[in-house]
Amino acid sequence: MLALAGICLTLFPIVPGLLWVLSPAFNSATWVELVQDGQFNSAVLSTLGSAVGSTLLALIFASLVTMWIYPGRGWSLAQKQLPLFLAFPHIAFAIGIAFLIAPSGWLARGLANLLEWGSPPQWVSIRDPYAISLTLTLAIKETWFLIWIMATLLGEQAISRQITLANSLGYSRRQVWITALFPQLLPRMGWPLVAVLAYSLSVVDMAVILGPSTPPTLAVLSWQWLTDPDDMTQAKGSAAAMCLMLLLGLLILTGRGVWWGVKKLYRNPSGIRQPGKIFKSRLLGGIPVFIPGWLSLAILLLWSVAGGWFFPKLFPASLSLKSFNNADFEPMFTALWIGIATVLIALPLTLAWLEWGSRKHHGWLYAPLILPSLPIAAAQYHVLLSINLDSTAIGVIWSHLTWTFPYMLLVLVGPYYSFDARYLCTAQALGHSRFQACLNVKWPMLIRPILAAMAVGFAVSVAQYLPTLFSGGGRFATVTTEAVALSAGGNRRVLAVQSLLQTALPLCAFMSAIVLTAWYARNRQGLK
Amino acid sequence: MKKNLLVTAIISVAAFTNVQLAQADEKWDAIASTAKGQTVYFNAWGGSDNINKYVKWAGDEVKKRYGVNVELVKITDAGEVVKRIKTEKEAGRNEGGSVDMMWVNGENFRALKTNGLLHGPWAESIPSWEFVDTNKPVRKDFSETTDGLEAPWGTAQLTFIADKNAVAEPPRSAKELLAFASKNNGRVSYPKPPNFHGTTFLKQLLSELVSDASILAEPVNEESFASVSQPLWDYLDKLHPVSWREGKAFPANNAEMHQKLADGELKLSLTFNPNDAANLVAKEQLPPSTYSFGFTNGTIGNVHFLAIPFNAKAKEGAQVFANFLLSPEAQVRKADITVWGDPSVLDASKLTAEQQAVFNKRAPGSLTEVNPTLPEPHATWVGALETEWLKRYGSQ
Repeated sequence: MLALAGICLTLFPIVPGLLWVLSPAFNSATWVELVQDGQFNSAVLSTLGSAVGSTLLALIFASLVTMWIYPGRGWSLAQKQLPLFLAFPHIAFAIGIAFLIAPSGWLARGLANLLEWGSPPQWVSIRDPYAISLTLTLAIKETWFLIWIMATLLGEQAISRQITLANSLGYSRRQVWITALFPQLLPRMGWPLVAVLAYSLSVVDMAVILGPSTPPTLAVLSWQWLTDPDDMTQAKGSAAAMCLMLLLGLLILTGRGVWWGVKKLYRNPSGIRQPGKIFKSRLLGGIPVFIPGWLSLAILLLWSVAGGWFFPKLFPASLSLKSFNNADFEPMFTALWIGIATVLIALPLTLAWLEWGSRKHHGWLYAPLILPSLPIAAAQYHVLLSINLDSTAIGVIWSHLTWTFPYMLLVLVGPYYSFDARYLCTAQALGHSRFQACLNVKWPMLIRPILAAMAVGFAVSVAQYLPTLFSGGGRFATVTTEAVALSAGGNRRVLAVQSLLQTALPLCAFMSAIVLTAWYARNRQGLK
Repeated sequence: MKKNLLVTAIISVAAFTNVQLAQADEKWDAIASTAKGQTVYFNAWGGSDNINKYVKWAGDEVKKRYGVNVELVKITDAGEVVKRIKTEKEAGRNEGGSVDMMWVNGENFRALKTNGLLHGPWAESIPSWEFVDTNKPVRKDFSETTDGLEAPWGTAQLTFIADKNAVAEPPRSAKELLAFASKNNGRVSYPKPPNFHGTTFLKQLLSELVSDASILAEPVNEESFASVSQPLWDYLDKLHPVSWREGKAFPANNAEMHQKLADGELKLSLTFNPNDAANLVAKEQLPPSTYSFGFTNGTIGNVHFLAIPFNAKAKEGAQVFANFLLSPEAQVRKADITVWGDPSVLDASKLTAEQQAVFNKRAPGSLTEVNPTLPEPHATWVGALETEWLKRYGSQ
């Protein structure tokens, strides 16, 4: 009961706010204005292109990588690097990529030294009109996410045994993957793919850094319009936000339709064994997919310790720790305490829901992961405004809960529901109340997934951009808001420092989760 | 008899004035004592490190001397704050608003004033007002009278920046700029409107290209707008094909232009602060060979202001803070080129010689020449120009 109350408090107040934000969109005059606006068509095209393109590319890359290196030494090397790059915030990664491929970036400087250029080339790399750089960067980040999902799914014995079985029947790896494994994996990746699509569709911070500006993607355009003083422009912003939600629905239906069509077409696979290559477990195979990540990190580190560094020098003329000394650590501390507070509130909610909540009807809790974040953030602001809690710490923490809670739920739900129920039974039979049994037996045994969920929740809270801006009224500057604000600015050193601080926070969270688990399990064989 | 009458008259006038002054002093004392302990949320453009540091210094001083806490809320465009105050008013939030003081001018001030979103008048009742140079255009903001609803903070003038090694002879008019862009294909651009630097660049071009510049001082007329602004669109149609990315994309703001100038991707950059380039050279963000310049016939200049919203929680604290920001000590430090370099609004003759000397400090990169200041067009031109620009070039 308490669980339900907690959830309701967190999520339901958004609904009236959402209605209020979207209400101007129910007026047909708004839609007429919207369609007539010159920026709308190109914005929709670039948004659709980048969202669908990045999702498909991510799926293809992840599939190719998994096919190529699973399950050898390359795979375990990849697994070791995954946590680092999953924790690498989107924005920091995008900023690093921008430093790399910009006309005055590292790549161009390398070429300039080779080809003797005096000025930066007239490339169109970042902020290109077709959103290609945005699509590719999103694709790379999401490839890592999808590889992680695939790793979790492949960890289930039922699937990995099939490879062995099929190999023993004489089928090549490629054939096994395409005919047997992907048809099983893809449906189970349905919801993660939807989450990836929803994110790409409604991403604002990455689109500001890498996306086109004439016109921006629909999410950025909607955000700009929603913060404009003019009434009609605001209404157009609401209509654009509604448009985003409609687009998502449309794309999901299209995806389902395509999958249904594919299933119909390939109903009768032939069992003919086709020739294939011998699988060698390559160690180095685990690196290529992470190369953009390593390069991005490297350039951020270089910029943060650079003195004066002008084109076409490949390395800084002087190195200094001045940027770190003069760095403003306040945004980092703000992000830290907001994240910790959010996780500490979300954890009891999650545990309460998993323990006492309904097992079957929890799909709707994942809604914030699937809906575009812009209308939700705007809705939260209106709700907070009506109860006088806008621009307060409580308001910001509440707004972060909306996304932290579903992510923690997502991470915990698997291990929690597959926990052996007999432990609890035994504890209760010995006289403990259910709550005591959970506290003393169940939750300590689940310490590893719980700490992992807390780390994920913390990372999610640190990465929130729009909610912090809207609900905090600009008063709470976190590393994320600072990084995005500085990304269009001139001081690349400060930007690199803030990006690194932004990366350091979730990284520390993940590492402390691992260390705490190891320390807690030091005397407990069963938890190792 | 007459002498007595005269003396009585003089004494009564003096007494009356003294009473007024005493009353004003009392009022100010009341405001200052209410302000103690208040927290002022100052919403200001946060795009420059120097400005943020200066505001932090001012906040610390005000905390020490008057017990008022100042929190800087960095924003990218004053329009967002106007929207926020408007939303609060529509939601019935008439007290305890989220903004206590904001750095504003031009069309945003006009939007605030016409929608009744400002507290005041208060600007001319603060003690520091007596130092303000009223010969400067401190009572009009883009041709809109301030009516004491906002206090002048500093002056600004559109200034261009270039690198001596790349640009020996800079363009000094709109026509020369077009010729310069054609010779240096792809190396000239401006921030995308509605960024306020970009919009001011458009206003600068318009004021040079229009046949009769005085029409810009009048509110924009919808019927004649098309014909009056036509020379500007013709000019841009010629400029864009030879500008950066062929005019299909624009830098997001002037800070991005500084970065591209540093790398040689652009040959010119622009700013409102004549001493901006000096600050950037000192921070190694621009090469030491950078210099600032203006146009021969002048560039647009304006005054920027501080305003208090109608629903501010800390109205008295905001006034105390504004009073400090207008004091000679704060204004001189602000004009110090090693701190911020923003020119002062105070009457130099009311300051000490030492303070006046600070105004004459120079550093490599700052603007050394004196260019005439062109007045800002009426605030309504801003919206019209931005909308038309977005219509024509906003989507490519």
